[in-house]
Amino acid sequence: MRLTAGSNCLQALGVQSAGLVRGFAEQGTFLDKKDVTDRVLSVVKNFDKVDPSKVTPTSHFQNDLGLDSLDTVEVVMAFEEEFAVEIPDSEADRILSTSDAIDYLASHPMAK
Amino acid sequence: MPVGRTPRVSGLQRQVLHFYRNVIRTAREARPAESQQILQFARAEFERYREVDRKNYQLIEHLLRKGTKQLNLLQSTEVIGVQLHRAAAS
Repeated sequence: MRLTAGSNCLQALGVQSAGLVRGFAEQGTFLDKKDVTDRVLSVVKNFDKVDPSKVTPTSHFQNDLGLDSLDTVEVVMAFEEEFAVEIPDSEADRILSTSDAIDYLASHPMAK
Repeated sequence: MPVGRTPRVSGLQRQVLHFYRNVIRTAREARPAESQQILQFARAEFERYREVDRKNYQLIEHLLRKGTKQLNLLQSTEVIGVQLHRAAAS
């Protein structure tokens, strides 16, 4: 299941008045998953140790792309820069593939 | 390292990776030219000890302490960067 920006869903349901919507505006909004996917993939493809043709939305950094644990740290830091968020160590440890990154960033309310 | 399976990360390995992340964070705050040099220096230092046995806790902990000290020095305001010089082969 996927969460999109609240206003889009509500418009689709025919809800017009913004006044009725209790959105996430104060904390930020969730980015569109398609958009997150494209940006995550482009960050990974631009990483100089990665063969861009091998990058898919489910590539495992170490098993599929041949990166080591230090490279993985660098890639996750590159996501921080791209999405203007700070990923705490405990979360960063669990981002081991492009799909982990997409899920994390798409559910991060502050990601830009 | 076995291929095809992600090896389990030990507590000490995790500490090392967290330390590497701190180094990158510190480098980002430096000016662009120094930032590149800090990153290069750090990666070279990690590569230098890549083959250290994972059970050699004493050495790994020593290197982690040494690195942390260097990082603290780098974070102090008087220090702006670090440069890597290749010694001429003699």
